Amino acid sequence: MKTKVVACLAVVVFLVFALGFQASAQDKKPIVIGFIHSMSGAMSMYGISSEAGAKIAVEEINAAGGILGRPLKMITRDDKLNPEVGLREAKDLLLSEKADFLTGTISSAVAMAVSNYAKREKKLFFISIAQSTAITEENFHRYVFRIDTNNVPYFGYGPALALAKTHKDKKIISLGFDYECGKNALAMFKEKYFELVPDAKVIDEMWAPLNTTDFTPYITKIANSGAEAFYLACIYGGGELAFTKQAYAFGLYDKMHALQACVGDVETFHKVRPGEPYPKGALTTCRYPFYALADPRNKAFVEKHNKMVGFYPSYGAMNEYLIRYAVKAAAEKVGAFDTEKIITALEGMSIDTFFGKVPIRAYDHQAMMPTWYGFVDFSKEYPFPHIPKPLGMLGEESYHTIDQIKKIRGGK
Amino acid sequence: MTFEAAAGQALSGISVGMVLFLIAAGLSIIFGTLKVLNLAHGSIYMVGGFLCYGFTSTFAHVPGIFWWTLIVAPIVVALIGGLIEIFLLRRIYAQDMLYQYILTFGLILIIGEICKFIWGVGYHTVNAPWPVNGKTFIWGLSFPVYNLFLIGCGIAIFLGILALMRYTGLGRTIRAVTFNREMANALGINVPRVYTGVFMFGCWLGGLAGTLMPPMSVVALGSDMAVIIECFIIVVIGGLGSLPGAFFGAIILGLVTAFGIYIIPKLAVAFAFMLMIVVLIIRPWGLMGKPE
Repeated sequence: MKTKVVACLAVVVFLVFALGFQASAQDKKPIVIGFIHSMSGAMSMYGISSEAGAKIAVEEINAAGGILGRPLKMITRDDKLNPEVGLREAKDLLLSEKADFLTGTISSAVAMAVSNYAKREKKLFFISIAQSTAITEENFHRYVFRIDTNNVPYFGYGPALALAKTHKDKKIISLGFDYECGKNALAMFKEKYFELVPDAKVIDEMWAPLNTTDFTPYITKIANSGAEAFYLACIYGGGELAFTKQAYAFGLYDKMHALQACVGDVETFHKVRPGEPYPKGALTTCRYPFYALADPRNKAFVEKHNKMVGFYPSYGAMNEYLIRYAVKAAAEKVGAFDTEKIITALEGMSIDTFFGKVPIRAYDHQAMMPTWYGFVDFSKEYPFPHIPKPLGMLGEESYHTIDQIKKIRGGK
Repeated sequence: MTFEAAAGQALSGISVGMVLFLIAAGLSIIFGTLKVLNLAHGSIYMVGGFLCYGFTSTFAHVPGIFWWTLIVAPIVVALIGGLIEIFLLRRIYAQDMLYQYILTFGLILIIGEICKFIWGVGYHTVNAPWPVNGKTFIWGLSFPVYNLFLIGCGIAIFLGILALMRYTGLGRTIRAVTFNREMANALGINVPRVYTGVFMFGCWLGGLAGTLMPPMSVVALGSDMAVIIECFIIVVIGGLGSLPGAFFGAIILGLVTAFGIYIIPKLAVAFAFMLMIVVLIIRPWGLMGKPE
């Protein structure tokens, strides 16, 4: 009898010990993050910067004990700006590497492909740069989140609000690249700006062929148009550099107000030095004015990023950083790393950023990431043109409202 | 339309036209003599741009580096052109025209990839050099000095080539080969050498245009295709193979584009093509070309 009891106890003790041990081993299994970005090619600067932002968060979180005691492990893949490659990498990350969730992509086409796949596999996908509203509006699903701005604040409502809050110009002339992005940008700009400044009008719309590098006749026309401000619709990257150079040489920035989206971000003009052509005094927006944020966590982040890759962080880097902390907060709130529960926790949650709390809208899983606005200038601290003194921050008012999205989704 | 606005559009139209003339001149000269329509001429121009960036950024500490680059880069481009003519084009003169198109189209892809390999896919800029930086005032309109410099370069190159063709022995030889290849050959002119020389000269012009462009624009992949269509329009308007045709075709295209943008901006892109269609209907051989 006694031996039986002892044997039973021994078995129980062994089982408890074994199971307990197994459970703790389970706890130590890393949470795998699949990071898909353009690590080579035209947009690799964003990919490299975003990866650095992501790595900084992973290192910090792991040093502080991981998420629910589990360390984070990140695997980087290059999508080569190609949706097929991005999809293949996403499949490999989820199937072979058993990734728990995915983040990334600058290309909206890649983001769309990965998003559709994540929906099928019921795994979380966080967008950190891609701006196409379609992903969170028409093609929205439960498993996609965007911790980033989108096209509406970027090219449309953001610049419109900025102009309405500052110059309130009545006569505007626009120049855009002759394709969908340009037309959409101007349509969104007009929609918001006319609502805010009803007696304003766009006196002329000019459309330059994509890849135009000589804007001279457009600039002389803008200069003689009698407009109070010109607005660039979707002219960015090399086109924006060429336009700015020529407009500066023509003295256009001294003659009228300029409205150019996102010059405050470091990406396009980071090689421009004082004395060289820049969008002088232009009203612009910015998605990550790291140079103007007082939060010490921002300063530490910028330093770590610079140390890691040797240049200033893009907004993608900040977004990737914030995504990891958002997932941590959500998982800790529900006490388990469970995709469905984390989604429910993220919906309506506010994420802690370098500039206060930013809500994630439950309806479209879009974080209400702010856009700053102000005038372009140089300052003593930084060698490139930026917004030394942002005038203000645009929040939810710069996004489509839920009613607008409902209409876009056909009432669903 | 005020006088100031009209003057502004006219001047900017001529500026756009002169830049395009510098590129189209090489294309036209090569076609005139070799009867090769070099689809890769835009790529030759782009190489000039990348070399301009490459030299000026590598030797940024050298004073007046842009002006040295302006001498060296077009010569490098001409040497590349020489290699292309000797090793590739020379083998297909006897073949059907289609082979030229396939070969030169292939060159667009190859040259584009090589540029990407060496200089990457980013955008590069070169600052306008002293003393042609800054701006000046013409009829109350502020205008960049560099654009005026480009207009001057276009006119100088045009007159220079005209003089070369008309008054020098070399020009006479080139005209002889252009006029009748077999007869020139029979008279003891080394026709293959003239071909190589003319092709290199055409590439030198393309490279010169490419080197002149970066201070007013950006150096980036894709600039080859951005200009080549407009160059074709110019040579169609002016007449393939005619240098004055290219010159006046470029000015006409520049002005039509500039005033098109001013008057009906929504259709501005189409104006150049409409002009080309009209010329093709009325004078298929171009304004200054000769009917076959």
